[in-house]
Formats: sequence, C-alpha cells, structure tokens
Amino acid sequence: MLKIKNLKADIDSKSILNNFNLQIKPGEVHAIMGPNGSGKSTLSNILSGKKGYDVSGEILFENKNLFELEIEERAHKGIFLAFQYPLEIPGVNTNIFLKTSLNAIRKARGEKELDAIEFLKLVKLKAKELKFDEEILNRQLNVGFSGGEKKKNEILQMSILNPKLSILDETDSGLDIDALKIVADGVNSLRKKDNSFLIITHYQRLLDYIKPDYVHVLMEGKIIKSGGPELALELENKGYENFN
Amino acid sequence: MEEQLKIDFEKLLENSNFSKKNVEIKRKNFNDFIEKGFPNRREENWKFSDLNQIISKNIKNLSFYHDLSKPNKIDQSIFIDSLEHNKLVFVNGRIEKIEFDYEEKNKIQILDDLVLEKPNNANNSLLFLNNAFVSKYFKLIVKKNYSLLKPLVIYNITNKDLVSKSVNLKVDILLEENSSLKLIELSNDKSTTNFININYNFDVQKNSILKNYKIDNNSNSNVKYCFNNINQDTNSVSEIFLLSSGSEFIKNEINCNLNGKYASAFVNGIFNLNETKHHEIKTNINHIVENTKSYQLIKGVLEDKSKAVYQGKIFVESKAQKTDGYQLSKAILLNDNTEFNAKPELEIYADDVKCSHGSASGSLNEDSIFYLMSRGLNYQEAKKLLINGFLLDVVEKITDTEIKNLIKNIINL
Repeated sequence: MLKIKNLKADIDSKSILNNFNLQIKPGEVHAIMGPNGSGKSTLSNILSGKKGYDVSGEILFENKNLFELEIEERAHKGIFLAFQYPLEIPGVNTNIFLKTSLNAIRKARGEKELDAIEFLKLVKLKAKELKFDEEILNRQLNVGFSGGEKKKNEILQMSILNPKLSILDETDSGLDIDALKIVADGVNSLRKKDNSFLIITHYQRLLDYIKPDYVHVLMEGKIIKSGGPELALELENKGYENFN
Repeated sequence: MEEQLKIDFEKLLENSNFSKKNVEIKRKNFNDFIEKGFPNRREENWKFSDLNQIISKNIKNLSFYHDLSKPNKIDQSIFIDSLEHNKLVFVNGRIEKIEFDYEEKNKIQILDDLVLEKPNNANNSLLFLNNAFVSKYFKLIVKKNYSLLKPLVIYNITNKDLVSKSVNLKVDILLEENSSLKLIELSNDKSTTNFININYNFDVQKNSILKNYKIDNNSNSNVKYCFNNINQDTNSVSEIFLLSSGSEFIKNEINCNLNGKYASAFVNGIFNLNETKHHEIKTNINHIVENTKSYQLIKGVLEDKSKAVYQGKIFVESKAQKTDGYQLSKAILLNDNTEFNAKPELEIYADDVKCSHGSASGSLNEDSIFYLMSRGLNYQEAKKLLINGFLLDVVEKITDTEIKNLIKNIINL
C-alpha cells in the first residue's frame, strides 16, 4: 500500500529525514517511535502533503507517486492524518465541516454525495461508537474543545472518512487514560484487512491498547531498528539514549 | 470645479420651487461648501481616505445638477422577493415609490416639504453640500406605540443614465416613544462614476428600537458618503449592520448620541472588498449620560488591492458613569497589496466606566488551510470555509432572523 524509498527531507537546508525507508501492506499496523526532533511529525506532514519541505526520494501510495498529488487529492485517495495539534476553526460548525469533507471525498471518488439526513444518521452512529458527545458536533470546529475532545474529534473524522491509510501523529499525547482507551477502541474498530495504520508516538503506552504488527525506531531522520511489538517494551526500558 | 458648482447651483434654484426660507439656507450652505470644499487627508477624520483626491481620480467632469422632473422606470427585479416589506424607492436620487401596504396608515407619516436645518456638525462640508443641493428632504415619522409589522426597505437605485453626477439624499426618521422600525437600505447601481451623498438623521425616542441594515453589495464605480446621525433617548436601542462591499468607494459615518439612560447602540460591520475598492467605517459613539452601552464589531476580508479603514471612537462624557463600551476590529488580508487601517479611539472623562478596544489583522492561517485540505477540500473550498467562518459571527449578531437569513443569502454564507 505504502512504499517509501530513500526519502530525504530538508527544511531551510536542515536535514530532517535522511535515507528513510518504510513499507506498509494493507491491513498492517506500524508504529514509529522516536525521541523529540527525530523527524516523526515531518514524516506525517510529508505524507499528507504539507508544503515547505525540500524532498527527494520516492513515496508510492497504491503505486501512485505521492509527490504528484495535492493535499486534497491524497485525502481523496484515502490518506488521513490525525493531527497532533488539531486546528481551531472559528465560525465553522463541526457537523457542516464533516459533511463538506465527506462529500468532497465521495465526490472525488465518484460516489454519491450524502444528503443532510443520510449524513446525520452516519455521524450519530459513529459518534455513539466513539462515545462522543453529539452536542460537541454543533459547536465550532475544535473551538473551546478540551485536548481530549480535539483528539477524539480527529478519530471521529477518521471513522467517518474511512481512509485506507491512517496516520496518527502523537494522538496519545495529552490524553488521560479514559480518552486513550476510547481513541484506541476507535482505531481498533477500524482495523480491517484493507485499512492500514501508521502510529507515531513517543511512548509505548498507546501500544498497550493498539497492538502494532511492526515497531520502528526513528532516530536522527532514519529508522535504526525494526521489530515486533516487543521492541516497544525494550525501548521503554532502555530509553532512547541507550538504544543507539 | 467652483465654476461648475455655481452654475449648477443657480440651475437648481431656477428649476425648483424651494421656499424663500429654504433658498436662504441653501445659499448659506452652498457658500460654506465653496469655502471648505471636499474634505482631504489634512482633516483627521479623512486622513485614511482623501475624498478630494478620490473624487478627482475616479470622476471626470463632476456636475452637481441633474433634472429630476421626469419619472424613472423602476427595475422591479431588484426588489427583495423573499421578504414581505414596505418600500421607499429612489431612482437616480428621485423618489419613485412610497408604499406602506403592510401598515396602519395613520401610524406612519411622511413629510417632504420641510425647512432645512443647519447641519449640527459644523465641520462636515459634505453636509453643507447635501443641504445646498438636495432637492427634496423627507421625514418619516413612526407614531407613538407603533411597531411596523414589516421591515421598510429603502432602495437606492441608480441606472445607466446617471454619469458623473453628484446626487444628494436627505432622510429624517423619527421613532416616537415605544415604537420600532426595521430598516434595510439596499443600494443597486448600474450607473458610473457618480458621487452619492446621503444624510440620515434618526431620532429614537424613549423605549424605541431602530434596526438598520445597510447593504452595499453590487459592484459599481460610484463614490459614496453616508452620514448617519442617531439621537437616542432613554432605554432606546439601535442596531446597525453594515455590509460594505460593492462600491468603488464608500464611507459610512455613524454619529450616535446616547442621550438617555439605558440607551444602547450596536454597530456591526463587514468589509468584503476586492479590486481597488476602498471603504471606510467611521463611528463616533457618544455616551452622554450614565448607564449607556455600546458595542462595535467590524470584520474585513480584503483581496487584490483593496483597502479598508475603521475609525472607531467611543466618547464618554464626565457624567456618563457606568458606561459600557466595546469595540473590536479584525481583518484578513488575502494578499500583500491590501491595506487595513484601524484607528480605535477612547476619550473618557468619567471614572467608573468599562471600555475596551482591540484590533488585529493578518493573512489566512496556512496551517488551517492545510488542516482543511487534508480532509479533502481543495484550496478554494478551504479558503471559502475559513473566510465564511471569520465573517459569520458578525452576521450572527443580527437579531432579526429573517433579515439575518437574507444577508447570509446575499453574501453566500
């Protein structure tokens, strides 16, 4: 599904990612762990198309060159980034935003756009699954949301848009244990044989709830070690500093 | 220009039958205008909008007289059809229709043979010009204890026949005690490069409510000035909403005197500008007595080479204790060639007051755009959603639901 070959990314001539390689097959859950400044967020930004990086190398998503796709085209193809810091958008009703987003994606895929009633039915169902207070959906997008509500809102969006590849950028940071469980349940309920996940995190904690198939350690812009879930525990015990 | 003014003024007197008294007042005002001329940037009030320059740049061979003896056709397609309403229709400055079909006839009175009064603002040369050249001066009176059942729409239409003219309108509106009026002013211009000078005087008496929505939305090359003087008595409310978007230049000036206790004034406005448009909102909210309240929220979205100016003043008289005054202005500048000038002013002589002001401007937040695009919206859709969201809270301040929806429709919100 996703093939990253020799990815190099600079920002203002500072090297962030270098010789980065990763392959994700349909249905797999990969976790990338790394200390601050190792390039984790850069990776998620580049995958979703954020401008401002000098990049070289190759990223193929379902055999399409990702660098040729605009931000929204990547979303249409099924890439979703759950933001580390979801933006507050004043004046934009959350429900209306969700509907606009879903219909933009459906339209691009040649599917029928949902009308207000069909959409509300879907959103109610998903919100219930995620134990998400529906009242929040009538508020302005992320405005005045608590940290947990913002993250849950990301997972709700993910669940409604049903992407093929979901990238979770430190979704666990700032979450209390109950919110963490809800987020993990949300991810687990979306695990299907065609849906893949890339989970970016500092801590092993989230991986207690979402069992990854592979764990990669990212340091100074490249993966220095890959393994199974046990690698996360090892990392937790040793710390990043002693790992190199 | 002075030569032209003199010729046109004599032509106006010749072709009209103003009372002797009015001719006398007009002459006085005419001379005052000749002396002062159009305002320029040396006057503090006009420092961001040099009208003298704007007129000479945009209008070639401005003339001050045009024949109002023949009726004009009204283009009915301009009328708002989603809303039942009363009508006052001006075409090229001539009154063409007065229609109050929804109201009790004896509760409303319209006068049109009034004696002009000397402008209360002795520094404003445009009021002199208005007094000198206005052909008919109207006064609408809403009688005591009467609330109009439907809004009144004043259509200010100009058509293709009008080119490089100075048009002056003057309307007084008196709301007697316990009365209320929802007034929409809708301009529609197919004319080119005229100077349109409008003067409203509102007298809002005890316990009365004025809701005034000024909509300038269709693109045109005219230069406009609209001076609104509002006097408010005890426990009265005025709610002003400005949609400032269509004309090449328009300055809306609002001078509001809160003369009675518990009077409150709300001024909310939107600049939605593109190309070389240059718009200004200037307010003077005068808290004259205690326990009065004012609230102002102005937002702008500026594209291309457009420019917006907001000069907002809150004045608090020494005996106006417990004043509550607030103003905020914000602008989104969509490119480097746009300009937003905000000059908040607080002049306070009382010591027990609550007043605040703020202003901010900046470009669209790229991170927000990225967030929305990562959810499948293209750049244009993301931009539109952000801009609409930015403007929405100003429109949400409109307390009349029907009119709020009308305005949302007009600006595709």
